[in-house]
Amino acid sequence: MKITGKVWKYGDDVNTDVIFPGKYTYTIKERSEMAKVALEDLDPEFTQNAKAGDIIVGGKNWGCGSSREQAVSCLKERGIGAIIAKSFARIYYRNCFNEGLPIIISPDAVEAIEAGDEVTVDFDSGKVVTARGEFPFPPYPDFVKGLIEDGGLIPHVKKSLGLK
Amino acid sequence: MGKTMIHKIIERSAGREVKVGDRVWCKIDLSTARDFGGANCVLQFLDVTDRKGKVWDPSKIAFTFDLQAPAHSEKVAVNQKIIRDFAKDQGIEKVFDINWGIGQHVLLEHGHVKPGDVILGTDSHMNLLGAVGAFATGVGNTDIVASWFEGTNWFRVPETMKVTVTGRFAKGVCMRDLLTKIVGDLGADGMFFKAVEFGGETIEAASLADRITLCSMVTEMSGKVGLIMPNGEVLNWLVERAGEEVRDRVKALAADADAVYSDDLHFDVNRLEPMTSCPDAPDNVKRVRDVAGTAVDQVHIGSCSNGRFEDIEAAYKVLEAGRFKVSPKVRTIITPSTREVMRKCAAAGYIEKFLDAGIVFTNPTCSLCTAEHYGVLPSGDVGVSTTNRNFIGKVGKGSHTYLMSPMSAMATAVRGVITDPRDILG
Repeated sequence: MKITGKVWKYGDDVNTDVIFPGKYTYTIKERSEMAKVALEDLDPEFTQNAKAGDIIVGGKNWGCGSSREQAVSCLKERGIGAIIAKSFARIYYRNCFNEGLPIIISPDAVEAIEAGDEVTVDFDSGKVVTARGEFPFPPYPDFVKGLIEDGGLIPHVKKSLGLK
Repeated sequence: MGKTMIHKIIERSAGREVKVGDRVWCKIDLSTARDFGGANCVLQFLDVTDRKGKVWDPSKIAFTFDLQAPAHSEKVAVNQKIIRDFAKDQGIEKVFDINWGIGQHVLLEHGHVKPGDVILGTDSHMNLLGAVGAFATGVGNTDIVASWFEGTNWFRVPETMKVTVTGRFAKGVCMRDLLTKIVGDLGADGMFFKAVEFGGETIEAASLADRITLCSMVTEMSGKVGLIMPNGEVLNWLVERAGEEVRDRVKALAADADAVYSDDLHFDVNRLEPMTSCPDAPDNVKRVRDVAGTAVDQVHIGSCSNGRFEDIEAAYKVLEAGRFKVSPKVRTIITPSTREVMRKCAAAGYIEKFLDAGIVFTNPTCSLCTAEHYGVLPSGDVGVSTTNRNFIGKVGKGSHTYLMSPMSAMATAVRGVITDPRDILG
């Protein structure tokens, strides 16, 4: 699988409150509505102009703060193809797998990539490919791969119980 | 090779030996959700089970209404009703409705938390239950829903950081100041994916309230859970609530003397000063006296980090030293964490004094942890709060917040500008 898209680039410790504002956490339940306010407090330009297939590049500890899964849902629903970061906060990391939003850990790629670049994430060869160079990234742990192969955490649990 | 607390807790829950870095399935002792996150969990569970699903064990699920209690809008009211209806259908009895207070604290007070329990919640500060040796962690809706099928979920066995604390706090200085210092020193990812064991003479003598403060802020350093095995008065308190089994668990789950730690840090509090997290991040730390004199529009004391009786009592003593008057320039709000805390404040006569001083004393809730609760700040306002996060826009777009201890917050309320509590306490 390959994902190619235009880059939106941000810094370190981007928290879930700016990815999906708390004031909406308690009032918006529709995923399409979530997508419309994604990153509103961090980057209004993203909120206005981000397109399906675009790629987010963040620094270290992307998605720290509140556990709200909407901070992943809103980007997934917006059509974001992948998030590349130096590291991901732990609850956000789980939520990404649970929502099926691909995440890549590659500090070197993050250093090299600039906002507006076009980059390709090649999952088969395990590389981020850019005009500025190619950057290998580590494969997901086998345990996590197993969950992905079953279609996610809930399908995995249902399968283990013999449920459809 | 010895084992750390989290190592033993996960082995107990997984029913097998594990090593650091393993990803293992654990039995969940309690799977909880709060008022809004709960509605999303319920709708997702109904959706993935074609509305026919039954939870694995109704006695191991709890709902707490703490973020927006009582409901302030129709949308919130509907969310709360979704949870109540689901709980009734499924036979879930642990429903702590709008009158109870902050979820983790209420569960703890009701004896639903024991050392070694593995607990999930839709609250990133769920892990403050590590204050009594439980492995509690915040997760998203999907992780909660997945656990409702058979009472399991997976975890990576984390490395453990050891933090030893020595010394005695000077007058006007408290556990929150230590925490703020640690957050400033280590940074927002300073405990990345790790478990943390807090120990040393200062921790062994600390109250449950102080242990909660300490463990609640592990999240702000991206840690998994901060753990303290109950001892002394905290142990007696917990046994009274959760039963004699607590004592056996403490013995079985204490870290081995030769346990292996990834980091070994030491803090001494003897010369610690009041500290503050400046706008707009918990790890943007300075001494309170470095920002003293900054004008403030609102002061808020409460939250899962600093909403216990001891926290409110510490603030009361500063108010007393300030002759029971807060500055008319500042809106001051106090929110107890639970009904039990509120009753203690009432019995001690504090509430009347707070009201006479011009302070708003609210019902027990999470209160100003979000921009969707009463007390929201308008753009341009500066707030002081004892909550755990001051991210930009969190309690009102265009506002900025300083985080500090209940003593520093009340000193600020008394003077109307950021104030070192030692200036009032003498």
